[in-house]
Amino acid sequence: MFTIPLFVLFGAMAIGCAVALVAQRNPLYSAISLIGVFVSLACIYLTLQAPFIAAIQVIVYAGAIMVLVVFVIMLLNVEEEVRRPVRLHYLIPVGVLLAAVLIGEAAFMLKLGSAARIEPLPPQASDVGLTASIGTGMFTKYLLPFEVTSVLILMALVGAITLARQTRSPLLAAPGNVAEEPPVLDAGSDVLIQPGETAATGRAFAQQQIEQGEAAAAPVTEGREGGV
Amino acid sequence: MDWLSNLIGADWARAVGQLVGINVGFVVVLMIVAYTVLAERRVLGFIQGRLGPNRVGPGGLFQPFADLLKFIFKEEITPSASTRFIYFLAPIIAITAALMPIIVYPFGPEVSLPFIGKFHLVIARFDIALLYVLGITSVGVYGVALAGWSSNSKYSLMGGLRAASQLISYELSLGLSLVGVVLISGTLDLYSIVEQQGGWFGLRWNIWDVTRAPQVIGFITYLISAIAETNRVPFDLPEAETELVAGFHTEYSALKFALFFMAEYVNMFTVSMLATTLFLGGWQGPFVDVFPLLGIVWFLLKVSFFLFLYIWLRGTLPRFRFDQLMNFGWKFLLPVALFNVVLTATILFFRWR
Repeated sequence: MFTIPLFVLFGAMAIGCAVALVAQRNPLYSAISLIGVFVSLACIYLTLQAPFIAAIQVIVYAGAIMVLVVFVIMLLNVEEEVRRPVRLHYLIPVGVLLAAVLIGEAAFMLKLGSAARIEPLPPQASDVGLTASIGTGMFTKYLLPFEVTSVLILMALVGAITLARQTRSPLLAAPGNVAEEPPVLDAGSDVLIQPGETAATGRAFAQQQIEQGEAAAAPVTEGREGGV
Repeated sequence: MDWLSNLIGADWARAVGQLVGINVGFVVVLMIVAYTVLAERRVLGFIQGRLGPNRVGPGGLFQPFADLLKFIFKEEITPSASTRFIYFLAPIIAITAALMPIIVYPFGPEVSLPFIGKFHLVIARFDIALLYVLGITSVGVYGVALAGWSSNSKYSLMGGLRAASQLISYELSLGLSLVGVVLISGTLDLYSIVEQQGGWFGLRWNIWDVTRAPQVIGFITYLISAIAETNRVPFDLPEAETELVAGFHTEYSALKFALFFMAEYVNMFTVSMLATTLFLGGWQGPFVDVFPLLGIVWFLLKVSFFLFLYIWLRGTLPRFRFDQLMNFGWKFLLPVALFNVVLTATILFFRWR
C-alpha cells in the first residue's frame, strides 16, 4: 500500500535530479544531481522487489564511478561554463520535430497500438531480484555471457593502462615504452640526466614545462577571446 | 503488536513499529556516541598520564552535554569564497550516511514483551543487509570529499582529497575481507549470520569456527581496513594537524563541525557493530537462551571492546606517511584479503565434498 506514494516520491526525485543534471552549469552540481538520479533509481528498484540490483546500483555507480568523476572535477577545478550564444540555428526546429515524433510514437504505442490491449499480469511474489537467485542464474544459466563481459572489461582496463603508460617522461615510462634514446633534458649543463636523479630531473622538467606551457597557452587565449 | 494491527491495519502497524524503532535506535546510538567521546578523552588522559575532563558532573559525566551546548552557541562562520550549497550539503551527507546503516544490526534474539508481543531485536531485516551497509558507506565518501572542495581552502582540499582516496582504497579490502564470512554463512542477512554462530560456548563464532572455516585473516584485515575507513589513528592522514590544520573540516565551525565529529564517531560505532556481528557472534553469549534480553548486554560489551581498542590505538600508535598508507593498502592488505577469499572457498569446497 506504500508502493505508489513511494514510487511517486522517488520518480519525482529522479526526474528532478535528471533535469537539474542537464540544466546546471557548474559541473560539480551536475555530478551531484547524477548521484541523486542513481540513488532515486535504486530506491525504485527496491520498491520493485529487486534489492540486490538496488544495492549494486548504489555501490557501483554512486559509490565508485561517481566518486572518480567528482575527484576529477575537484582536481581539475573546472570553472562554471560560460553561457555562449546559441549557434544551433536550424537544429532547434528539427529537435522539436523529432521530440514530437517520439512523444507521438510513445503515445501511439501506449494508447492506440496493440500493447494497450494486453492485460497487465496480476502482481505476484517473485524471488528474481533476490541475491541467491541472481547468483544461481549468473553462475549456471548465464555463465558464458557473464565471463565474456568480464573479459571485455578486463580488456578495457588493460588498454587504459597501456595508453596511460606511453609517456616520454623517463621517470614514469615502462622499460619497454621509452623512446630509443631517453630525451636529454637540458638543465643548463651538459650532464645527461638519468632516471632516478629525482631532484635534477624535476628541475629540468619544470623548466621544460614552463617553456612548453607558455608556447601552448598563447593561441588558446586568442581563440577564447575570438570565440566570445 | 496485535492490538495496533487491529486498530490501524497490519501495514501501518509495521510502519509505525519500524519508525519508532529507528528513532529509538538513533537516540540510543547518539547517546552512546556522546559517551564514547567522553570515554576517549578520559582514557587518552590516563594513557598519557593526565586526568582528562572530570569537572562537569561526577567524574565528568555531563561533559558531552556541555560540549553540545558549546557547539550550539559557537558562531557559524561561512567562508566568503566557499561554494555555499555544497558547503552546507557536505556535513548533512556525512552524518546521514553514518547513521543510515545502524538499522540493520541485530542486537538481540527473539524476545516477547508485554503489550508488544514477540519480535526480533533488529530494526530492519532484509535480504541485502550487508550490501546495504557497504553501499551506504561508499556514499559517505562524498561528505568528506565535497567538504574539502567546497571550503575553497588549500588545507581543506588536500584533506578532502586524502580522505577520499584513502576511503576508496580501503573500501576494497574492507569488502573483500567480508566475503569469507558471506561464503561460510551463505546469506547476506545479518540476523541469520548471527543465528548461525550460536552454541558451543562461543566456539562457533565465525572468527574461530573450526567446523566451517576460521576467519582469523578476514577478521584482522577487516579490523585494519575498518580503522582506515573511519580515518582513525594510525590512519588519520586526512586530519593530520601538523600538516593540514584539521583537514577537510578546517573551515567548518559550530554545529556543522559537530556533525562531522559525530559522523566520525558514529562510523566508529557502526564498524565495531559490523565486526561484532560478522566475526564475534553478535548477541550470542552465555545464558542468552534463558534470558533473551541478556543478548543486548553481550552485544554492547563486544562493541565496547572494539571502541576501547580504537581509543587504545589512538593513545599508542604514531601516524602513517601517505605513501606508506597507500602501499600498505594496495600492496599488502588487498592481496591478503584476496588470499583469504581463495583460502575460505578452498576449505569449503573440500568440506562439502
